[in-house]
Amino acid sequence: MSPLSPLDERRPAITPQLAVRVAVLGGIAFALFAIVFFRLWFLQVLSGEEYVSQARENRVRKVKIEAPRGDIVDRNGTSLVETKEAAVVQLLPNSLPSVEREAAVAYQKAVSAAERERLAARTASEALKRRERRRGERTTRADRREIKRLEASGREARKVAVAPLPSSATGARRLYRRLGKVIGVTPRTIHKRVVQQLALTPYAAVTVKTDVGSSVYNYLLERQGQFPGVRPTKTFLRSYPEKRVGAQLFGTLAEISPEQLKLEKYREVDAGTRIGSGGIEETYDRWLRGVDGFTRVSIDARGRPRDELPATRREPRQGNRVKLSLDLQLQRAADKAMQTAISVARSKYPDAKAGAYVAMSPTTGEVYALGSYPSYDANLFAKPLSRERYDRLNSEAEGAPLFNRALLATYPTGSVFKPVTALAGLASGQLTPGQVYNDTGKFRLGSQVRQNAKGAVYGPVNLSEAMKVSVDTYFFNLGYRLNEVAGRPIQTWARRLGFERRTGIDLPGEPKGLVPDARWRNAGFAAYERCRAKEGLTQGSQAALFACGGVDRSWTAGDNVSLAVGQGDLQATPLQVAVAYSALANGGRILRPRLGRAVEDGAGSLVQEIDPPARRRVDIGAKDRAVIMEGLRRAASEDGGTSTAVFKGFGGTVYGKTGTVERGVNVPDQAYYAAYVNQQNRPIVVVTTIEKGGFGAETAAPAACRILAEWYDKKAPCGAGTAPQ
Amino acid sequence: MRRRNRPPVSYSTPIQPVAEPPPLLERRSFRLRLDPLLTLAVLGLCACSVLTIRSATSDDIAGQPSYYVTRQALYVGVGLALMYGVSRIDYSRLRELKYPIYGLMIASIALVFAVSTATRGSKRWIELPFFRFQPSELGKILLVLAISAFITDRMRRFDRDTTARVVLLALFPAMLVMAQPDLGTSLVYIVGILALLFVAGAPWKHFAALAALGAVAVTLTLVALPAAGVDLLKPYQTARLTAFLDPSGNPGDEGYQQQQSKIAIGSGEKTGRGVENSTQTSLNFLPEHHTDFIFAVVGETYGFAGAALVLSLYALLVWRGLHILTVAKNLYGALIAGGITVMLLFQIFVNVGMTVGIMPITGVPAPLLSFGGSSMLVTFLAIGLLQSISAQARETAASKGRTPLFQ
Repeated sequence: MSPLSPLDERRPAITPQLAVRVAVLGGIAFALFAIVFFRLWFLQVLSGEEYVSQARENRVRKVKIEAPRGDIVDRNGTSLVETKEAAVVQLLPNSLPSVEREAAVAYQKAVSAAERERLAARTASEALKRRERRRGERTTRADRREIKRLEASGREARKVAVAPLPSSATGARRLYRRLGKVIGVTPRTIHKRVVQQLALTPYAAVTVKTDVGSSVYNYLLERQGQFPGVRPTKTFLRSYPEKRVGAQLFGTLAEISPEQLKLEKYREVDAGTRIGSGGIEETYDRWLRGVDGFTRVSIDARGRPRDELPATRREPRQGNRVKLSLDLQLQRAADKAMQTAISVARSKYPDAKAGAYVAMSPTTGEVYALGSYPSYDANLFAKPLSRERYDRLNSEAEGAPLFNRALLATYPTGSVFKPVTALAGLASGQLTPGQVYNDTGKFRLGSQVRQNAKGAVYGPVNLSEAMKVSVDTYFFNLGYRLNEVAGRPIQTWARRLGFERRTGIDLPGEPKGLVPDARWRNAGFAAYERCRAKEGLTQGSQAALFACGGVDRSWTAGDNVSLAVGQGDLQATPLQVAVAYSALANGGRILRPRLGRAVEDGAGSLVQEIDPPARRRVDIGAKDRAVIMEGLRRAASEDGGTSTAVFKGFGGTVYGKTGTVERGVNVPDQAYYAAYVNQQNRPIVVVTTIEKGGFGAETAAPAACRILAEWYDKKAPCGAGTAPQ
Repeated sequence: MRRRNRPPVSYSTPIQPVAEPPPLLERRSFRLRLDPLLTLAVLGLCACSVLTIRSATSDDIAGQPSYYVTRQALYVGVGLALMYGVSRIDYSRLRELKYPIYGLMIASIALVFAVSTATRGSKRWIELPFFRFQPSELGKILLVLAISAFITDRMRRFDRDTTARVVLLALFPAMLVMAQPDLGTSLVYIVGILALLFVAGAPWKHFAALAALGAVAVTLTLVALPAAGVDLLKPYQTARLTAFLDPSGNPGDEGYQQQQSKIAIGSGEKTGRGVENSTQTSLNFLPEHHTDFIFAVVGETYGFAGAALVLSLYALLVWRGLHILTVAKNLYGALIAGGITVMLLFQIFVNVGMTVGIMPITGVPAPLLSFGGSSMLVTFLAIGLLQSISAQARETAASKGRTPLFQ
């Protein structure tokens, strides 16, 4: 600056070219700043007053427009879950009188008390039954009566009535009466719905009626002043054109909870949005959920829209379409097969009413069909559901249709487990394929004597023969021998093949199951003993059973003998069995079963492939595998095999294993079947099970056969087999 | 006032013989070598930023009225330290590191595609434990450093080839950023590179050619090729890009934002409505009021007086930048100063222009004013480089017997 200006003369001159260019830059900068300054001057000084009045009147209401969720389709593009628009009548939570809120709190308390009682009764009855089963003693009449009583109260929670609306709440009474007349619902029902929904979601709007006609909707819309707190609105409902088929896979929608709002994966979701809860809807929520739109309406001081200011609007965007690997035809056929199998089973075991099936690709892990019987009409959940109906859908008397057994139920697997035992024997070197065992029909272990099913005697058999006709004593003996071997080969191989591990399917809620071993049982027994000593109870007593659980003794060789034939404490889901058989079929790849296949946009073009799942590999010796597959082939495709009769007329090679699970004294056996077929270059693994369905070959194998017949488009009779197990 | 401490300099100091060790080493070390006016502009802007953010965001997060302001103050503190640190290094050394710098820029921008999750449809940030780092912000500085070095190396034969190479080198990161998609930042890259070419003295006809090429490219990718049935991009990518490029695809919301911003600024009148009465800000009519639209908050709260003060500070900043460009001791420094200054000018104009309704909405933050760690720290880094260039220039001048302080 000026004081130092004499210095400037000595500075080297910048090149004239640069000087020009810097001057140009300076000029541009000057011009830009001048523009902004003038603009500011214009806005703030010249037209400031006008903007001040606009700011004062600035009242904008942002109204959300819900985006429809994307559809769910099967592998051929057939629609399984769709979205339709419907009018609903809601009551705003702030306008409800406080008596309703108090009633809801009281109701919630009563319901949870009843549920606690139910759970206590169920735990007690299960523990009691487990003990009976384990001891195998004759039960006394008193015991049976006690079990029956506990079972009855464990099955269904005590009904909780909603207290009627007190007469003091005159405003609400009048509103309910007048509203009830319009929408055709009694005031009592409105009150009941209000209380029940408030108990579930205290701050959400209460839906009084869903899917009202357009005349009612318009009537209420025009008379909002006469119905304070009533909000007629449009919403999107899920609809399920296939009704019962696959109902358990999809899950439902629920308003996002405050806890979920904090999660990273719901970062872009606003409060009040309905998100997927359970099933495919939850797993692929990110894709199915659309982008909500909104309108901004400028309103005046009295809340009326101001016409002179344009309302801005952002259109909602529908969610993407999720394509499943499910094959609707196969799923339908499987449902039908289960139905047939259960009606056959009923002629012999009247209690049979539930079962499950899995059909998946042993090469990619894609699930072609998966379900549980009985199913329910998924459309029930599209609208608010009454508590009574919900309870009925969960009740065991109805076969608990909501419960997806294929994925969530853990059972012992019965003889279906034998290939795992065989693999453990072969891989640990304790067994050779040619080794012959002389079956006398009985296996003695200490004081216990165990028999083949139906008391059969097979004489000398080797491994593949033992698998073909399912010789229990052969595997009893093997299990007994393997108990002594270091490294617990059966347990190790079972875990390698995916037992006691979540399969990682893209549906939430999977249990791990259990592969019993000495460590588990001894730890459980130690806890039992500690608890028993503390409570001062005697070992094995019923009171100790209730208080301390059922692990009332330590590990014995007998436990390993039971495990060898898939009985005892083993707990596995049908899906885990399917994964284990897939690994046997494909030579050791443990697949992650997958229902989602691709995400598509509305026009059907691909947005994203759902990544092929990560895999784990297990080294199964090629020779060992060959022997086991041979055994499975002989069991299903060679004369005299346990399920050969079922597949009569099916043609080609079938690898299959029957299973018959003992579920306790005086309870019919559970039928199990696992099959692998590789024909027409369309390999498939099918697992079926029917609770209280008798021998595997009686009901489960024919069901599997029907599923396979549909898959390969064959006409096979699939009659019940007669051979045991 | 600094002149009191300045060592007395005699204009007739003899030129030191080469063999003698350079003098003044010790004296130099305790001299605060910052350009005072530039520092003043920076401090003033930071003060405005902290003050405005404090009043504007006190209700944004329930229970934490000082959530944003403490963070912004922290960024300012760290940034000032960063600026001082950078001002003490010799920027000329960076010229040797042009390849690592260029590589680092590309890698960090590309990393975003791999690790970040999309927020509102765009992938721009990398989550770090304490804040979200935006590589494309840092990329602005790295781009200027690397490209200035390339240009300096080829200065002897500044022909068409040089211009073409420089443009290609710069277009690659700009395209990556555009694909995030972040059109605003990629425009900053392009403007920065044009500024470098301009300062380096590229012939005028090169600029004409570049303008023509740019027009052709934009027309081709967005209009001509899709019409001819050749889709370079997948449908959903095109949709994303055009939704961003074409504001009329999303008219409601953006028109609304700009309208509210204009109302906010206009209602501030001459002296502002004060913190309490600034309804546009406090009632959330003004979107993004601590980031992109912070200038509108200044306009509403402090009126024309406040807005003009901020603009004047910006003008001071740009003037000092251009000045440092002219005094730089070497071409590399002049180029860096030119690139940084023009980028800042562009960001200022685009951001302020957006809030006053003369530019489209592009999500470019206001330098040193908007809330945001990446933007603040990177701007401080840039100012630090300017300070370094200025300090080196004075030092060189001093060693040649001249001690310019204010000029």
